[in-house]
Amino acid sequence: MTAPVSEPLPQQLPNPLPRPEGELERLEDVWRTPRGWRFLSSVNNTSIGLLYIGTALLFFVLAGILGLLIRTQLAVPDNAFLSAGTYNQVFTMHGTVMMFLFAIPVVEAIAVYLLPNMLGARDLPFPRLSAYAYWAYAIGGLAFFCTLFAGLAPDGGWFMYPPLTGTKYSPGLNADFWLLGIGFIEISAIAGAIELIIGILFTRAPGMTLGRMPVYAWAMLVVAVMIVFAFPAVIAGTALLELERAFDMPFFIAERGGDPLLWQHLFWFFGHPEVYIIFLPAAGMVSTMIPTIAGTPLVARRAVIAALVGVGVFSFGLWAHHMFTAGLGVLEMSFVSAASMAVAVPTAIQVFAWICTLWKGSVQRGAPTLFLLGFMFIFVLGGLTGVMVAVIPFDWQVHDTYFIVAHLHYVLIGGMVFPVFAAMYYWIPLINGNRLSETWARWVFWLMFGGFNLSFFPMHITGLLGMPRRVYTYAPDLGWNGLNLLSSVGAFVFAAGVALFAVDAVRTLRRDERRVGNPWNASTLEWLTSEDYGNRSIPRVTATNPLWDQPTLAREVEEGAHYLPQTATGRRETIATSPVGARPTYLLVLPGDGWLPLVAAAGTAGFFLLLTMKLSWLAWTCGLAAIAATIGWLWQSDRAVPQTEAEVASGLTLPVGATGTASHSWWATIIMLVVDASIFASFAFAYLHISMRLQVCPPPGSTLPPLALAWLSAGLLAAGSVLVWLATRSLGRRRLPWLVLAALACAVASFGVDLHGLRAADLAPDASAWAAAVAALAGYQGLHIVLLAILAPYLALRAWRGHLGARSRATLDNIALVWHYTTLQGIAWLSAVRLVPLLMD
Amino acid sequence: MTTANHASEHFFRRLLRGILPLLVWLLHFAFCYGLAATQCTPAAMRAGGPDRTLLGAATVLALLACAWLAWRARGVPARRDAGLLEWAGFLFAVLSLVAVCWNAVPVLLVAGCA
Repeated sequence: MTAPVSEPLPQQLPNPLPRPEGELERLEDVWRTPRGWRFLSSVNNTSIGLLYIGTALLFFVLAGILGLLIRTQLAVPDNAFLSAGTYNQVFTMHGTVMMFLFAIPVVEAIAVYLLPNMLGARDLPFPRLSAYAYWAYAIGGLAFFCTLFAGLAPDGGWFMYPPLTGTKYSPGLNADFWLLGIGFIEISAIAGAIELIIGILFTRAPGMTLGRMPVYAWAMLVVAVMIVFAFPAVIAGTALLELERAFDMPFFIAERGGDPLLWQHLFWFFGHPEVYIIFLPAAGMVSTMIPTIAGTPLVARRAVIAALVGVGVFSFGLWAHHMFTAGLGVLEMSFVSAASMAVAVPTAIQVFAWICTLWKGSVQRGAPTLFLLGFMFIFVLGGLTGVMVAVIPFDWQVHDTYFIVAHLHYVLIGGMVFPVFAAMYYWIPLINGNRLSETWARWVFWLMFGGFNLSFFPMHITGLLGMPRRVYTYAPDLGWNGLNLLSSVGAFVFAAGVALFAVDAVRTLRRDERRVGNPWNASTLEWLTSEDYGNRSIPRVTATNPLWDQPTLAREVEEGAHYLPQTATGRRETIATSPVGARPTYLLVLPGDGWLPLVAAAGTAGFFLLLTMKLSWLAWTCGLAAIAATIGWLWQSDRAVPQTEAEVASGLTLPVGATGTASHSWWATIIMLVVDASIFASFAFAYLHISMRLQVCPPPGSTLPPLALAWLSAGLLAAGSVLVWLATRSLGRRRLPWLVLAALACAVASFGVDLHGLRAADLAPDASAWAAAVAALAGYQGLHIVLLAILAPYLALRAWRGHLGARSRATLDNIALVWHYTTLQGIAWLSAVRLVPLLMD
Repeated sequence: MTTANHASEHFFRRLLRGILPLLVWLLHFAFCYGLAATQCTPAAMRAGGPDRTLLGAATVLALLACAWLAWRARGVPARRDAGLLEWAGFLFAVLSLVAVCWNAVPVLLVAGCA
C-alpha cells in the first residue's frame, strides 16, 4: 500500500502487436450475450447490472407513487382519500420498498454494472451468483409489492416494531410477508456483497494496487464488509419475530419473559449501518465524478479513503440513537450520542475534500455538476439535523415527529438519490454512447431540487409544531394545514422532475448506438472501449488516474497489447490478482450463461412467499426445486479444464485456476461463514439479552440439559470434523466419500443428542422467552446439520463420479470449511447456554 | 512463471496495523456500553449505577493507546512518500482520539442508570 501513486511507464507492452487473426472473433464468441428470450439466461455483469439497475429504478418509481398517495392524503386536514388501514399499508410499503427494494439494490446494481470495467476485469468472479441474487430480488420483490393490491401488505411501519407486529395486534398475514419477504431479499444482498468483496480484492487489473484503486471501489469494499456484519442482525431478528408469530415462541412478549427492545436492538444494529451502506456508495460515486468534472485529481484522496473506512466502523456504534425514547440507561445513550457526533468528522472530511477539488479545478457545467451541487446542499443540511437529533434532549422533543421525516429524507434523498441521478447523467453514455439532454436536465434538476426542498423543508417546522409521524390525518385547528399543503405540492413537483427524467432516459436509450469514447475526459478505466467481453485486453495500470497519466492506454488496450487479449482456454476468463499489489496470480475461468440461477432464484422466492401464504406443499416443491437447481449449477462448477497453464502476456504464464487459500472461492466461503457466525452471534445476543432480564437463570420451571449430553454432543461434532479433515487428506482414495458420510453420521448423532438433552430438560420453546432463545440457538445448529446432510452426499457423489481432483478440489475444501464451522458453532451454542447462567450466579 | 504469493503481501497484518486505532475505539465503546448496560439490568444491577471508576480506567487506557498511535504517526503529514496505509494510520489515530474523548465526557458527567 506504500507504492507510489504513479510510476514511469514501462517501455514494453505486455503483448506484441498486431494480434493474430481470429483471436478477437474467438473472444467475442465466448462472451456473446444471448439474444431474444434467452437473454434472461445471461449472467454477464453488464446484462445483470442493467436489469438490476432497471428493476431498482422501477421500485423507486413504485415507492414514489406510494409517497404521492401519502402526500395526497395529508394535503388537507380530515381527508378521507385513504382509510386509516390502507394508509398504514401505504406508508409501510413506501418505507420498506424504498429502503429494501430500491436503495440497497440500486447501489449493489450500479456496482455490479460498473465495477468490473472500473477494475479492468472481464466480469465479477461469481457471475451466476450475481444472476441468482438479481432474480431472487426481482421475483421476490415484485411479488412482495403485489401484496398491496390484495390488502395483504405489511402495515406496522418499515421497522416493524413488536408488540404491534406480534400476532396479538397484527393477526393477519401482512407482517409475515414483510418478515419472510424482506428476510430473503437480505440474503440476496449478502450474496451481492460477497461477490463484490472478492471481485474488488481478487480481480483488479495488474498494477492496480490498493493505493491506486478507484475511490468508488474503496467505498464499495467498505460497504460490502458492512453488509457482511450488519445484515445478519436483521436476518436473525426477522427469524425470531416470525418464529414468535408462527410457533408462539415469545421472544418479544414482555409478560412471558421476552423484550420488545430486543427487536429494536437487532433491527437498528442493521438499520443504522444501513444508512451508511446506502450513503457510502453514493459518496464513492461523488468522489469519482467530482475530479472528472473539475478536471483535477481528488484533493486529499488518501484522507477520503480513510474517512470511508472511519465512517464504516463508527456506524456500528450508532444503532441505539434510534432508541433514545425507549428507556435505555442514560449513560449508554450518552455513549451512543458521542459516537453519533464522532461520525460527523470523517463525513466532513469527505465534504471538504469535494469542495476543495471543485475549488481547485475548472468545473464543467453540466447535468452531473448540477446534481452533485444539489447533493451537497441537501446532504449537508440533513447531516446537520442529524447532529441535532444526536443530542438526546432534542431527540426526546422531536422523536417520531415530522422533524425526523424531514431529516431522514434530507439524508437519504440528498445523500443518495441526487448522487444516483448525477451518476445516471454521468454514466448513461456507457450504455449506447448517447448522453441525456442537457436542456431537459436543467428542468429535471430544478423540478427535483425545488420540489424536494418545498416538500421536505416545511416538515422540520410541522415536526417542531408537534405533528407525529404515521398519522393518517389531522384536525384543521392545529396550525399544520399550510405547511402540509406546501409539502404535498412539493412532492408532486419533485415527481414531475423524475417523470421528465424517465422520458428523457427512454428517449436516449432508444437512440442508435454510437461509439462511447470518453465524453467527460474521465480518468477511470470504465471509459475504455468495452464490449460483452469487457476490454479487448486487460490493462496494466501504473497510476492512480490511469486514463490521465497513461495517455496511450485506451488505444493500446483496444488493440490488444495488454494482458489476456484472447481466450486462453476457450472459455470465459479473467485474471486473478493478489489483494494488495494486484500481481497476476492465476487465470480465473468463469462460468457461462445458463438458466439454473434463474430457476434457483424463482424457487427460493416461491418457497418464502408461498410459505407465508401457508401453501406448504407448493412452497416445499419450490424449495426443493431451488435446491435441485443450485446443486445442478454447482455440479457443473469446480471442474478442471484440460489446460494447466496459460500465457496471458509475453513471458507471463499463469496457472489455470487455484486451490486452497489461493482460490477466490475459498475466501468467498470464509466470508459466507463470517456472515453465518454473525447471524449466530445475533441469536446468542438474543439469548444473553433475555437471560439478563431474569432475576434467576434459568428461570423457575426451566432447567439446563444434562452436562454429560453436552459433552457427548461436542465430542461427536469434533469427531465429525476430524473425519472431514482426514477426507481432505485422502484425495483420490476410495475412503474419501466414506469418511465424509461417517462424519455426517457423527454430526446427525450430535444433533440427536442435543434434541434429547432439550427434551430431558423439558424445555418447551413456547413456555418462556428464555426457553425459546435456547431453542433458537439449537434450531440454528439444526439448520446447519440439515445443510451438512445435503453437502455430504453431494461430496460423496462427486468423489464417486470422479469430479474431485488435485485441480478441482474447491468443493472438498469449501465443504470442509463449512463442516469445521458447524463444529465450532455447535460447541459455542452448548457453551453459551451453560456459561450465561453460570456467570449470573 | 509467476505464481500466487499472497502470504508475502501480509494483507491481514497491514490491514490490522492500519485500522488499529479504530479497533481501540470500537473495543472501548463496546466495553463502556456493555458494562453500563449490564450493570443496569435486573440480573446484575449495581447500586449507584455503572462503575465509573472502571469506565474511567478503560477510557484512560484507550486515550493513551490512541495518543501513542497518533504520536507514532506524527511525521506522516510532512512526508511526501507516505502511502495510504500510513495516512490511514495517522488519520484513524486522530479520529479515534477525538471519539474516545467524546465518549469520556459522559463518564465524567453522568451517574446512575435512570
